[in-house]
Amino acid sequence: MKRDNPILRVRDLKVGYEVPGDLIVPVDGVSFDLNPREVVGLVGDAGSGKSTTALALMGMARPPGKILGGKVEFDGRDLLTLPDAEIRAIRGRDIGIIVQNPRAALNPMLRVGRQIGHAYRAHNDVTAAAARMQAVEMLRFVGINDPERRVEAYAHELSGGMAQRALIAMALSSAPRLLIADEPTSGLDVTIQAQFLDEMWQTVQKTGSAMLLVSQELGVIANFCDRVLVLHKGRIVEDAPVRKFFAEPQHPYSKEVLRFYQERASGFPLQVSGKPGFLQTKQLTKHFPLRGSDKVVQAVDKVTISVAKGEAVGLVGESGSGKTTVGRCLMRLEHPTAGAVTLDGQDITELGATEMRRMRSRMQIVFQDPFDSVNPRWTVANILDEPLRVHEGGNKAARKQRAVDALKQVDLDPSMMMAKPRDLGASTLQRVNIARALICNPDFVVLDEPTSVLAPRARNSLIALLARLQKELGISYLFISHDLTTVRYLCQRVAVMYLGQIVEEGSVEQVFTAPQHPYSKALLSAHLMPDPTRRRVDNPALAALEGEIPSPIDVPKGCYLASRCPHVVDNCRANLQVLTDLGDDRAVRCERVVNKEITNENAAAHD
Amino acid sequence: MSSEIKDDLLEETAYVSPVRKADWLMRVGVFIVALVVVLAIFGPYIGPYDPTRTTIRIAFPPPGLTEIPGLLLDWISGKLDYPPHWMGTDANGYDIYSRVIAAPRTDLKIALLANILSLIVGVFFGLLAGYWRNWGTEFLIRVSDVLQSFPVFIMAMVLVALAGRSSTNIIIALALVYTPIYIRLTRAEVLSQTSRGFVEAARAMGNSELSIALRHVLPNSLTPALIQSSVTIGFAILLTAGLSFVGAGVRPPTPEWGLMISTGANQIVLGEWWPSVFPGLAISLTVFGFAVLGNALERRYEKG
Amino acid sequence: MLIRYITRRTLIGFIQLFCLVIAVFFLIRLLPADPVSRLVGLNSSADAYEQAARQLGLDRPLLQQLGIYVGLFPDIEAGLFQGSLGVSWVTGSPVGSEIAVFLPVTLQLITIAFILAFFVSIPVGMLGALNPGKAADKGVFVYSLFAGSQPEFWWGLLFVYVFYFQLGWAPAPLGQLSPMTLPPESVTGFMLIDTLIAGEVGKFFEASHHLMMPVITLAFILSGPIIKMVRQNMLRALQSDFILYANLIGLPRKRVARYALRAAMGPSMTLIGILYGFMLSGAVLVESVFSLGGIGQYAIRSVLAFDYPAIQGVVLVITAISLIVYLLLDLIHAAIDPRIAY
Repeated sequence: MKRDNPILRVRDLKVGYEVPGDLIVPVDGVSFDLNPREVVGLVGDAGSGKSTTALALMGMARPPGKILGGKVEFDGRDLLTLPDAEIRAIRGRDIGIIVQNPRAALNPMLRVGRQIGHAYRAHNDVTAAAARMQAVEMLRFVGINDPERRVEAYAHELSGGMAQRALIAMALSSAPRLLIADEPTSGLDVTIQAQFLDEMWQTVQKTGSAMLLVSQELGVIANFCDRVLVLHKGRIVEDAPVRKFFAEPQHPYSKEVLRFYQERASGFPLQVSGKPGFLQTKQLTKHFPLRGSDKVVQAVDKVTISVAKGEAVGLVGESGSGKTTVGRCLMRLEHPTAGAVTLDGQDITELGATEMRRMRSRMQIVFQDPFDSVNPRWTVANILDEPLRVHEGGNKAARKQRAVDALKQVDLDPSMMMAKPRDLGASTLQRVNIARALICNPDFVVLDEPTSVLAPRARNSLIALLARLQKELGISYLFISHDLTTVRYLCQRVAVMYLGQIVEEGSVEQVFTAPQHPYSKALLSAHLMPDPTRRRVDNPALAALEGEIPSPIDVPKGCYLASRCPHVVDNCRANLQVLTDLGDDRAVRCERVVNKEITNENAAAHD
Repeated sequence: MSSEIKDDLLEETAYVSPVRKADWLMRVGVFIVALVVVLAIFGPYIGPYDPTRTTIRIAFPPPGLTEIPGLLLDWISGKLDYPPHWMGTDANGYDIYSRVIAAPRTDLKIALLANILSLIVGVFFGLLAGYWRNWGTEFLIRVSDVLQSFPVFIMAMVLVALAGRSSTNIIIALALVYTPIYIRLTRAEVLSQTSRGFVEAARAMGNSELSIALRHVLPNSLTPALIQSSVTIGFAILLTAGLSFVGAGVRPPTPEWGLMISTGANQIVLGEWWPSVFPGLAISLTVFGFAVLGNALERRYEKG
Repeated sequence: MLIRYITRRTLIGFIQLFCLVIAVFFLIRLLPADPVSRLVGLNSSADAYEQAARQLGLDRPLLQQLGIYVGLFPDIEAGLFQGSLGVSWVTGSPVGSEIAVFLPVTLQLITIAFILAFFVSIPVGMLGALNPGKAADKGVFVYSLFAGSQPEFWWGLLFVYVFYFQLGWAPAPLGQLSPMTLPPESVTGFMLIDTLIAGEVGKFFEASHHLMMPVITLAFILSGPIIKMVRQNMLRALQSDFILYANLIGLPRKRVARYALRAAMGPSMTLIGILYGFMLSGAVLVESVFSLGGIGQYAIRSVLAFDYPAIQGVVLVITAISLIVYLLLDLIHAAIDPRIAY
């Protein structure tokens, strides 16, 4: 789709920084074109220099980096040679940018409207009052309802999704011809991400601008981009239309990247026949008191889960669903407000401190952030030794051997015993965490989003490891995740949570092939498949949700999803929804589904 | 190892932090501190005169710069009746040079002991208040806050003057001043560390709270306090000198820089600058050295 | 919301103040010093000693002494509740009126020194932050470390020697005015203001002349930590994500600098409060050198004479002022940075 007049021409761009005795050049001769009305994706691994490239297009480099050479031609002028005042005029007015962490990018001390106003006035000669009106309009334009009120908010009062929209409002306020989006949705919930990318894409089409979308997630690229650029070792190694890229990648690196991405079209995990109810929660409830007021934050509302021996159960939900709190209550890192948790028949919510400590050798947890869950000053050996020391004692030599065995069990080389956490990569360290959790042979392990912070490439192999370990050791898992698709390869059963309640549960096969609850459907359809032949933007958005999750402090009276559900009617808002058994080990919390008022015409089949 | 793990290890090529500034500055700090420590140990013995004995030569000015090499030669070859007064003598006849190099023993001893005392007490209570947050520890913090709002200098004066002008009392007074600082510093760090995941992980593993506090939290919380120590010692020297200057510090004839400046203050208006200037120069450089060292440590260990 | 915060802080402040006064009260009485001997003489007779002790109220039980001081026994003697700070054991005058004479001198000195230090330090600190790593920055940084570790009394003396003795630019360090000059009528207690109110412009300049060196000395010492703080906070602000983004959306340089400055000011407020509180009692050293007659000197005199009521009075007043300053600065901080919730 090469046009004659590219909006941006990048030639041989080089960005580097000095270290003692050396010059490191992460961006080493990047060249590409961007055409109007085109959405171009830029992929590459973490640290490959994508963000650096994006910033360099605007003539900026994060210190200590420096732009070392090359040309960035915009409107016939080389941006890299322009004097400061002129390039500031172009930034924001002709080229807009949104970055990865929206709340950090906003000035924490000014109201959002004022900042947007400043951005607007930097390029347009208007009064402050006129700029404020423009800010309100921009917020409306990017889909924030009640913009008059939101315009007075501070950055820390906004959710991640809102803040990102505010950022877009700022970036688009002067109608730039090119929009650069640097990992705009990392850290956002799946449904919000889909919603957001949909809207951003539509906005770009409406304004006729070009967009450079930088992302690690091939799903994002496949669904929203027309063309793909691959950045590897500081250079663009492939530049192809999206379908061609996914179908016939040319460069060996592209092939490697895509190989890890082909989501396995395998079947669902087989059911197990262990003792049911091995780990059980009954009406588990957790409220957090709100400081300085009588209100409470309702994190978990009467959740009942049952995990059989040797079974893996998935607990899926987005931020605010309460899934992490459930996991923490299971481990008694939080004390439940009401309800009980039993392991192998024994109620652990009422155990005394010493007995609880002994019980802990039977149940372990792996946390989301591998670096945060280990003491940064300890070596791998110390980390693995700790549970043995606490629960078993014994002589040091025997413990050392156990540690070695534990490392081997997770496919790691025992030579890294003396390494410190900062010497290891995220997925390696996460394996160490798994080894630590398993070293005392627990019966039950809570896995709290263990793959969320890992690079997409690492996720699949970690899941495979967990599946293998489960088969070998016969442990039970509670696998907490925000992404339905990671659950399907590991778990037999799954429960979907929203705002502290379970809205659907059943076997993984049932929920994946025929989700019942509108929220489950939305979750599934929000997952972006790396398949450019079925682009989300080419088909009408399926089962999409509007708006944002309600506050857990003031929970809605009727159905919690009512404010966002595409199938909502008046009864939904009035009636408290109950988790109803549908038979065949399935349950769903939606009157309309139980009454068969909603059918499966929109089921997004994903096998 | 799978290729994916190998890539993992090569993953992070984030920007390295900017090149460190002036390391020569750190060397200067280390040099000064080392010099002061050496003088603290050997100072009283290596001067040409006994620092606590007067001579009959009252208010002798120091030799001019050009005279020094000649004087040095004469002294070494034994031509002089008495050792030269390199920094002159004061109104009482004390040789200033001998006293200037003898003073570090007094000042450093006081400052070091005061710092160690407040460090131990401060870290202990800081850990307590930061880790076990109940009404008892909250009360502790309130008390520490009240202590901190005492007018520092006046309280130190009060304590020393009323309890008696001895080194021990000065040490206690200084410790009272600095302990709340260490409590606050340690508590803040402990609070920050306990919110980190590995503390929860240790709890989930079945560690007792005491074990977590001692094995995980404490070692990770010491850094700010230790770094602060260098600066604190420097300021303690300043405080001691200040106290002695107003007459609420060490007793004469103990060689102490502040005391020397005070005695010399009366002579400055007469144009006799040397009894005050040399000891002042010594304080100036010493405290500067400690401050530089403290800052260098801070820069090195900040990320830790 | 705001009123509640201020009331709460003031209340806590009062409690803190009260606890402090009580603590000091007991502290000085528990120390082995003997104020009676101090007053009466070491070789006094037993009778004279007892009489003196009774006069000072030291024969009563400790708690009763405290009660009297606080004001629970107004018929015996006026106390805190009646607004009285007691009577000086040395001069016999009410402590309150004595402090009212000495305190303004110090306040005047510190406030002017602070303002001067600010005017100098903020631009210098910013200079360092805007050119990180270069020679200017290194110089600024080394200066800040140096200035902050200096003995101010020594520098005061140095200035006296150089500017008075050698150069004759400054007056003799003999007080707020030359010993021959009659001070103006005391209205506010602040010499500079009083001279203007009395219309005696000549004396105003003379007072300013006498203040010059003490102010410069103090400002020099203060400039160390203030520059260090401004530089550090500015650097941190300039490296933050939102400044990067402000540049990315093309905001003009001036606007970005203002963003950064505002971000840097917030955390500075706490340090300024601490410095001010420290200076209130720390200024004594400079006051002594220049014989200004401020509260620090009053404190020294009281301490060395074991004048308990005076000591208590000084501690109370200085702490009260510090607490007020802390509260004010916290309010300013909250006004600058909306993330700080009340």
